[in-house]
Amino acid sequence: MNSPEPFDDLEAELLALGDLLDLPAPPPATVAATVRTRLEHPTPDPDPTTPDPAGSDPAVPGSAPGRRDGGRRGPVRRGRRRRWAVVVAVIVAVVAVTAATPQGRAAVMAVLRFAGIELQMGRSTPPPVTATATLPGETPVSMAELPARAGFPVRTLAALDPPHRVTVSEGGRVVSMFWPDGLRFDQFDGAVEPYFFKQVGPPFPDFTRLNGREALWMSGEHPVGYIRREDGTRVPLRQAAPTLIWWQDDLNFRLEGARTMEEAVRVASSLQ
Amino acid sequence: MDDDEAIARSLEGDLAAYEVLVARYSALAHRTAYLLGAGDEAEDVVQEAFVKAYRHLPGFRRQAPFRPWLLRIVANETHNLTRSRGRRSDLVLRLGTTADARVPDDPSDVAVAGDRRTRLLAAVRALPERERQAVVCRYFLQLTEAETAQVLDWPVGTVKSSTHRGLARLREEVGGELA
Repeated sequence: MNSPEPFDDLEAELLALGDLLDLPAPPPATVAATVRTRLEHPTPDPDPTTPDPAGSDPAVPGSAPGRRDGGRRGPVRRGRRRRWAVVVAVIVAVVAVTAATPQGRAAVMAVLRFAGIELQMGRSTPPPVTATATLPGETPVSMAELPARAGFPVRTLAALDPPHRVTVSEGGRVVSMFWPDGLRFDQFDGAVEPYFFKQVGPPFPDFTRLNGREALWMSGEHPVGYIRREDGTRVPLRQAAPTLIWWQDDLNFRLEGARTMEEAVRVASSLQ
Repeated sequence: MDDDEAIARSLEGDLAAYEVLVARYSALAHRTAYLLGAGDEAEDVVQEAFVKAYRHLPGFRRQAPFRPWLLRIVANETHNLTRSRGRRSDLVLRLGTTADARVPDDPSDVAVAGDRRTRLLAAVRALPERERQAVVCRYFLQLTEAETAQVLDWPVGTVKSSTHRGLARLREEVGGELA
């Protein structure tokens, strides 16, 4: 035991076994984006942790008794709802890996909630949805009657012509605008729980910046559905084109059908 | 961008550089948290560890390796978690699909090798806490004795003795001979 011993058979076996272990972990880019978001938007919870000027011992903050309950559990768990409502902008609850069953893990690797949309990220690209359904209670309205029918002050995109068609769904909770070239713009009120869900496989969504906030770009086609408010039932809707999603002023937005992320960001920046 | 440059830029407030570090060590950090007992809360632990690591980066000794410094914070967060809930997660270990992908010449070898792996895993899980931690760090995380000592905050001698005792126990449980 006094010098480095060569690995014996058992040690070699343990090393090999370690390589074979199947441990769940979210995509590194997602973790990085989440950590960045937390650093950019510190929670209002009191956190005495500050950079230690002496800084000799990285374990100090964690080793103080009760730190975990006082600091960590707060922002991450207890503050989840409030942050959704307040700091919101961004990723609040990231990533509950469904590690409970091998099947669950294969199907969905991580769940990301962002701007009223739940992203279910899987290891593989989900099979496309061929059917097309509409949102509950979706009815066409004119631009003139829109303010009276929508449950919130409706925003428009100045970079685009007036929409070809406008609909209101779910008693005014969702407003959708359509253009002939396949562009679709949804806005819905900011709420605690996600309203839409999307199933995506690699490549995973990219974070970008939009008016100083985080926005999320999904470059591939993907199944989209909505989550029924009353009972949380997930209702598949259709196959969505590439989509940019973001959050601003208590409203969630999704712009679908732009060809590139740059184009989507350009159009989205014209929100007024 | 190497670690040192990423750290230097992070210290200047460049969060994109820190993202690079997070992405680089994310998998290892999750593995560490998971194997040290965080279980399905490993993601919370890792997220918190990276946030804390950023705040304490000014105290990081440059030129020192980043990996064990970070993993020490991960291990510490994991320890706080298991202490706050009064237990560690059962170490649920599964062999990945690659474990079955190797086709040996004799099909009966599959069963024998698989059985031995399963028994070895079970034996690691059943090790006393400190021996298990040492074995996990040394072999499943492939840390050196010095790194293990730093990550677990033990003297190197304790790492050596715990590893030694753990290996001896595993030999008793599953036998020293390869199947």
